[in-house]
Amino acid sequence: MTAARDLGGLTEHEFGFVARTRPRRRDGSAWPCPWPWRRRLWLAGLVAAVGWSLWSAGVGRREIVNPGGWTIFARFWKAAATPDLSGGFLRQTWEGALTTLAFAVLGTALAVAIGVVGGVLSSETWWRRDRARRGGRTSVSRGWLAGRAVWGLPRGVHEAVWGLFLVNVLGRDPLVGILAIAIPFGAVTAKVYADLIDESARGQYDALRLAGAGRVASLAYGVFPVVLPDLASYAFYRFECSIRSAVILGMIGAGGIGLQLSLSFQSLRYREMWTLIYALVAISALADVWGASLRRSSSRRRVGASLRAGAALVVASALHLGPDLGRLASAGTRALLADLAAASFPPSLPAGGWGGLVRRSVETAQMSVLAVAIAAALAVAAAFVAARGGGGAGRRATAAAARLLLLVTRAIPPPVWALLALFVLFPGPFPGAVALGVYNFGILGRLMTEVVENLDDRPHAAIAAAGAPRLSAFAYATLPLSLPRFAAYALYRWEVAARETVVVGVVGAGGLGRLLEQQRAAFDYGGMVGTALALVAVSILIDLISAAARRALR
Amino acid sequence: MDGAAVALDRVRVVLGGHAAVQDVSLAVPAGQRVALVGPSGAGKTTLLRLCTASVAAESGSVRVLGADLATASAADLRAVRRRIGSVHQQLDLVGPLRAVHNVNAGRLGAWGRARALWSLARPAEVDAARRALALVGVAGKMFERTDRLSGGEQQRVALARVLVQDPDLILADEPVSSLDPARARDVMDLLVAVAADGRERTLLVSLHDFELARQSCDRVVGIRGGRVAFDLAAGAVTDEIGAALYRLTTG
Repeated sequence: MTAARDLGGLTEHEFGFVARTRPRRRDGSAWPCPWPWRRRLWLAGLVAAVGWSLWSAGVGRREIVNPGGWTIFARFWKAAATPDLSGGFLRQTWEGALTTLAFAVLGTALAVAIGVVGGVLSSETWWRRDRARRGGRTSVSRGWLAGRAVWGLPRGVHEAVWGLFLVNVLGRDPLVGILAIAIPFGAVTAKVYADLIDESARGQYDALRLAGAGRVASLAYGVFPVVLPDLASYAFYRFECSIRSAVILGMIGAGGIGLQLSLSFQSLRYREMWTLIYALVAISALADVWGASLRRSSSRRRVGASLRAGAALVVASALHLGPDLGRLASAGTRALLADLAAASFPPSLPAGGWGGLVRRSVETAQMSVLAVAIAAALAVAAAFVAARGGGGAGRRATAAAARLLLLVTRAIPPPVWALLALFVLFPGPFPGAVALGVYNFGILGRLMTEVVENLDDRPHAAIAAAGAPRLSAFAYATLPLSLPRFAAYALYRWEVAARETVVVGVVGAGGLGRLLEQQRAAFDYGGMVGTALALVAVSILIDLISAAARRALR
Repeated sequence: MDGAAVALDRVRVVLGGHAAVQDVSLAVPAGQRVALVGPSGAGKTTLLRLCTASVAAESGSVRVLGADLATASAADLRAVRRRIGSVHQQLDLVGPLRAVHNVNAGRLGAWGRARALWSLARPAEVDAARRALALVGVAGKMFERTDRLSGGEQQRVALARVLVQDPDLILADEPVSSLDPARARDVMDLLVAVAADGRERTLLVSLHDFELARQSCDRVVGIRGGRVAFDLAAGAVTDEIGAALYRLTTG
């Protein structure tokens, strides 16, 4: 169990499914207190990282705001009141929305399929030797470690990068968008599912194994019935992420609403953009409501209905997109893959050599630090405002407005935020960080709002019942109970933000993403592989730091 | 002041459509220790929650520490609550805070906001907190995180919180329900010691353990189906009365 936790730093906090309680020692006692100075050191380090990133981005040292862009920036926001509602464009929006949704549905379905198979194969439960060893050590075989290691690389590469590579092999086909979502998401899902299987009650599985049942049968009877609601709930969470990814993939050519967004942006038709943005908000809201109902009461009946609806959606999406499955194994694909492999290997360095690559990598890391700092600062404030529960009509209206704001900020894809930021900020990593910060504010804000809503309210009630003023009760109960989970979410999101820098980079906001886009335009495939590997290295490094920080701050 | 710390008069409480408490009248003189006993779901918790106005009476009157809770203003209610210390079944401590802050949470009703916030950075009234923790036997755990303490230690921190609050009335909702008999005995003794620290405070405690109620309290009130089944001095309660209270209704 501890092994799964150590390796699964990401999954444990990703959605709070796996471990809501603090781990306890086998005899039930609490773990000893870590040295407080270690926590302080971590906090100081994180603050210093934000300061260093701000300084490097030139904040306070040179001109950042570009006053020339304000008029066009204002024009974009004014168009929000007058979206293009002509019949023709509404029909196009509807078509685009269907295409985007279809990509998300098929990408998720494939990711979940990969997740179930891969999750079982990389779970400790599957590989555990069922014969005790001398010394009483429970042992897992090497197969388990291998299964775990396999998921690192596909997960570290962003969907957009997968899309850029796959389009060179498969050509312009819906398969590109589907696989670009399914490969990285399948890897993440497999890891989460493995943890869910391992964390579920072992007793029943072991009892069946002892009675002589095979591994598959024991899983089917002893484990899956227990974890099914959690698996379904996580699959749905992935679907919500897939919608956002499908929009981004659309912007780089896969079609759907994303493509329409970038076309409207290029031709400065802001009223059309707002029609599309409102459509995205509606889709996100719908997915939110569906997912929330699934999570709140994961009753068997509702999970079953959602699974059936999901299956119907998969069929409809496949008919709508019509991916050419023959391409996967065709001679042409094989030839293109061979060409690409020949052109890509060995990976090469960008123009500046190692120095240039390291400089861009550092820039990427700094962008992610700033993005998460901006997102977390805004989200903590928003979470307490947006949380449901209690209060008069005024309080409820404010909360609803805050939730709408969060919904809109995460419905607008990061490349659009980056293009907007580039109107009013001079190019460089800073506008990229701002764009990612605003987008992640929408996501973190929503996660943190859920933390506040699900908070145990009894400690607060006890303190309030002893006559404490509202602010004091907030400071002694609500705040200390929510801050550790806020920190965990922000640190988890930091790693995601590092991977996302690539999608604001491709529109020119700096970092490795910018480099990748330049190399793509120059057909420098070897360079692209090198840059992608650097991105993976940066996100693995950040993942390690973030996991260590989460352990220290827990 | 009529001398009663708690005075319930023909109180009826409806929760979720059914009557949780019906026609209960109960007067607890200041300084008395009263045990509420009865089967699960009898309405013991509801009776205790009535005393802090956490649930409202449908009819009848609830007077606590001289104030009529139905008509008390918000300021009056806060003033009354400041004088009531609560110990809950689930302890209701804030896990990520250090023990000293959980103890000091008992002082929040008396402290101003600024003082409360500053104390999170530089703990105030440390001596009082240390004395309270020493009295319940966990002086060494003052600066440890509360969720890293054992269950028994957390129980003691919850009692120390009541001590520093220095209330006139202590309400304890099944404080020993999850403990083995020896530890339950121990915690009840501490609770009685807390109630008697410096002066005699009124104690209203709900218990499952009949024997413990008889030993620790002056008076035992049996609750069943939201009504008072009996109300006797601790010495007058017999085993037969207890058995009758817990007997399952048939038919």
